[in-house]
Amino acid sequence: MSESQATRRSELPGRYDRGLLLAALGLIGLGVVMVASSSIPVADSQHKGSFYFVVRHLVFLALGTGLAITAMRLELEKIERHSGVVLLAGFALLLAVFVPGLGMRINGALRWIHLGISGFQPVEAFKLLLIAYLSSYLVRHRESVQRNFFGVIKPIAVAGVGVVLLLVQPDFGSAALVGATTVGLIWLGGARMRNLVFLGLPMMPVMAWAAMYAEYRIKRLTSFRDPFLDPFGDGYQLAQALIAVGRGEWFGVGLGGSVQKLFYLPEAHTDFILAVLAEELGLFGIVLVLGLFAWLCGRGLLLGARAVQRGLYFQGYVAFGISLCIALQAIVSIGVNLGVLPTKGLTLPLISSGGSSVMMTCAMIGVLLRVSYELTREEAQSAESTNARVHAGVWE
Amino acid sequence: MNPFNRPREFGEGAVRHASTAAALRVATRARPVNLKARLSTVLLLLSLAGTGLVVRAVDLQVLRKDFYQEQGDARYLREVPIPVSRGTILDRNGEPLAVSTPVVSIWANPQELLQHAGRIAELAQALGVDEATLKAKLDQRADKEFLYLKRHLNPDDAKLILERKIPGVSSQREFRRYYPSGEVLAHVLGFNNIDDRGQEGLELAFDEWLAGKPGAKRVMRDRLGHVIEDVELLREPQPGRDLTLSIDRRIQSLAYRQLKRTLLEHGASSGSIVVLDARNGEILATVNQPSFNPNAVNNGDTSIRRNRALTDVVEPGSTMKAFTIAAGLESGKWKPDTPIDTAPGTMPLANHIIRDTSNKGLIDVTGVLTRSSNVGAAKIGLSLSSEHLYDMFKRVGFGESTGSGFPGEAAGVLPPAKGWGQVEKATLSYGYGLNATPMQMAQAYAVLADGGRLRAPTFVKGAQNPDRAVLDPALAKTIIGMLETVITPRGTGLRAAVRNYRVAGKTGTSRRAIAGGYESRYISMFAGLAPASNPRLVAVVVIHDPQGAYTGGMVAAPAFSRVMDGALRLLDVPPDNVEKWYSDGSGNWAPIEAGDAAPEYAPGSTSYEEGEPTQ
Repeated sequence: MSESQATRRSELPGRYDRGLLLAALGLIGLGVVMVASSSIPVADSQHKGSFYFVVRHLVFLALGTGLAITAMRLELEKIERHSGVVLLAGFALLLAVFVPGLGMRINGALRWIHLGISGFQPVEAFKLLLIAYLSSYLVRHRESVQRNFFGVIKPIAVAGVGVVLLLVQPDFGSAALVGATTVGLIWLGGARMRNLVFLGLPMMPVMAWAAMYAEYRIKRLTSFRDPFLDPFGDGYQLAQALIAVGRGEWFGVGLGGSVQKLFYLPEAHTDFILAVLAEELGLFGIVLVLGLFAWLCGRGLLLGARAVQRGLYFQGYVAFGISLCIALQAIVSIGVNLGVLPTKGLTLPLISSGGSSVMMTCAMIGVLLRVSYELTREEAQSAESTNARVHAGVWE
Repeated sequence: MNPFNRPREFGEGAVRHASTAAALRVATRARPVNLKARLSTVLLLLSLAGTGLVVRAVDLQVLRKDFYQEQGDARYLREVPIPVSRGTILDRNGEPLAVSTPVVSIWANPQELLQHAGRIAELAQALGVDEATLKAKLDQRADKEFLYLKRHLNPDDAKLILERKIPGVSSQREFRRYYPSGEVLAHVLGFNNIDDRGQEGLELAFDEWLAGKPGAKRVMRDRLGHVIEDVELLREPQPGRDLTLSIDRRIQSLAYRQLKRTLLEHGASSGSIVVLDARNGEILATVNQPSFNPNAVNNGDTSIRRNRALTDVVEPGSTMKAFTIAAGLESGKWKPDTPIDTAPGTMPLANHIIRDTSNKGLIDVTGVLTRSSNVGAAKIGLSLSSEHLYDMFKRVGFGESTGSGFPGEAAGVLPPAKGWGQVEKATLSYGYGLNATPMQMAQAYAVLADGGRLRAPTFVKGAQNPDRAVLDPALAKTIIGMLETVITPRGTGLRAAVRNYRVAGKTGTSRRAIAGGYESRYISMFAGLAPASNPRLVAVVVIHDPQGAYTGGMVAAPAFSRVMDGALRLLDVPPDNVEKWYSDGSGNWAPIEAGDAAPEYAPGSTSYEEGEPTQ
């Protein structure tokens, strides 16, 4: 792109996608309400003040909003140009948890780094940074990715290193999520399924080893089949989650009326917030959450498609990656809550009270909004231009 | 909106529309990618996953909800009792005798507390117990959810512990029984166990009435045991009802004080005093020594907890002579002034010798009572049929429980008439060979006081208490008149006299029966009533093991006098003997019997006690 074009471009009006914003705000609002409802008993019992977790959640939302606004004002091209730095930053964060004094071990897992008053989960940032890197790679090596096996090796290998680092933490859920998002994004970027499968095969034993390595994961993998076989042992958490869901019926027991959140269900305001939501708002609540995620992610994917169509490949791939990542994480988290997937430490994006997650998902939404902005700007520009550039309508 | 609408195809379509060389170069070298199809696949897969989740949610929340809700209910629905407070026990004037005060019991959920083991030391210190002991107790019940740490704490003390907010430590409101009268009423009221259920005494006898019925409700609890919601009422609570006793706290205290004083003065080991209202059989006072503090019952010497007036039997001794003579008069063979020669003070019978304390010579039937002659009583008894004498004793309540309903009340033993030989009949005539509780003796004297009507003594004020006529009212009156002579300078019970009132009564002294005979330990008794002209109160005093003077006249009679004196005045009973008093110079007041000059009597002379000289 030449200087003159860039100048012209910045003068053109772009619009941030209102639908995306509404869906995100809907989820965030629901999240604040549910965090309040589910965390107050825990906060009270820990003598932290009833609104301890709510205030925390709001602080992280504010930080996330700051990140989102920054992202919304950032030319994505700059990120595309510096994807190498982005990737290095991502790995630096992932490795930071292993640095003594910086990493924080909670419940036996090294997933957090110390940030003074609060911990930060690097994987949340890593997801966005990896998506940015992969998108940039897919743009740069579009041909080889689409054509041959070797073009796919590099991005898969990079993501594979991230997955292995996550497994070492260990964070099986995030590892699976990163792996799935990578495969999905590269496939949407044009890679052949055949090549992806070839490359995916060696990952299988790694995942299998990781799953079997720790005994608790085997138990998780088996106990989720029927938590009521051992409802006070391995199946405890899931049994409590299912009871909460089952109590919800069509419209729930009413906001604030959950009994399961009263210390029966562990992690009620984080990983198992959907079970509390299902108890208080019923099937209606679950459908509402799924609908909002479908709206958000569906819109994000279509936005990506439009961007790619307009030739904004990087923006398009980033939108694919973010939408896929949020959608997959939501599906997995809800699936865990409903007992169709083994228990993992995954939060429900935008809803769970989990500082890093809510903050980085906000940032992702900011990037999506930026994509919508750049897309509409591009569309306005091409509409204005009487001799529309050929490559704007041609893409592969 | 839909990006698929405008350029229908992305991949191959793009090739067709491509017009630049660059685009053609890419298109020919790269395999065309159908992004639309791929995106559709991704969207389809995500939609399928979402639909699958909705289906699962429907399955959980609509189709199989019952199973999960039952599982939930099993976890947090609990049946809990609704405590009711125990009824207050009041005396006849509405004074509280047993009240329930709220206390706080501290309990722990060991499961939860052990998760915060670091605070056990703090808890132990707050409770004032040894940390290791507490820890051991908690470990022992580590898999349980309930353990009492300390019960019945003063609410203020409990607050200090609870304020520490140690996880897993909770409180429970309970009631503790408090007895303001302490040892004075301990035997009558009994006491409760730590769960506030009656263990002895009237607390036990009226336990159901006092306790009421705790209700029950179903509640929803959180995992830490806090009640979140009352779900349903299972049983309506029935609060305990108050119980108004016939006991008069003032008379009770008076009797207790006098009993204790008498025991101290005579070095006696134990004793009882019973005061009955002659008109209705209501028990105004029942005191025993030794006693205990019902507010701090320990498991030491349980014998001090017996309500001896109802649970322990004694041989009534000479107090029975009133009924022997009643039978004699009833038979028509004897009149109050029929002479009996008791000389020489002994009477051989079979291989047994009946002894008087001294040779009382020729006396009349009244004199047998006045001077308590065993020989005279034996002669009267022997003249009667065994059946008649037995029937008389039986009619006035001997040989069977009084029916007061007091837990553990003894019935006493009255041997059946068929088995009586001459010796048995003679000894029964002066009160040996049978036994009775002090309450039974009081009941029998109440028959005399109430014109021949027998009533069950009762501890409840205003209780239905049907009477049964067992003696001719005129006979009862006659016996009372004869018994009045006991409280004269000629009689054995002068010390039972009450200033301004006419008193009728009988002294009794029996040796304590042991296996195979009697030991030289005595039981000193006095049974009597006042005012004699219109009897209102009946009292019985029984003192065990007095040292030194041991006769009923010396030991029991003064206690009787002091209790009667106070009780009659407390109850505003009109005096019937005003101004017929004189002093014998010893400081004691004694009545002058109207028209009954006492020839043998001279001021300053020794009074006629049984046996032993006065000291």
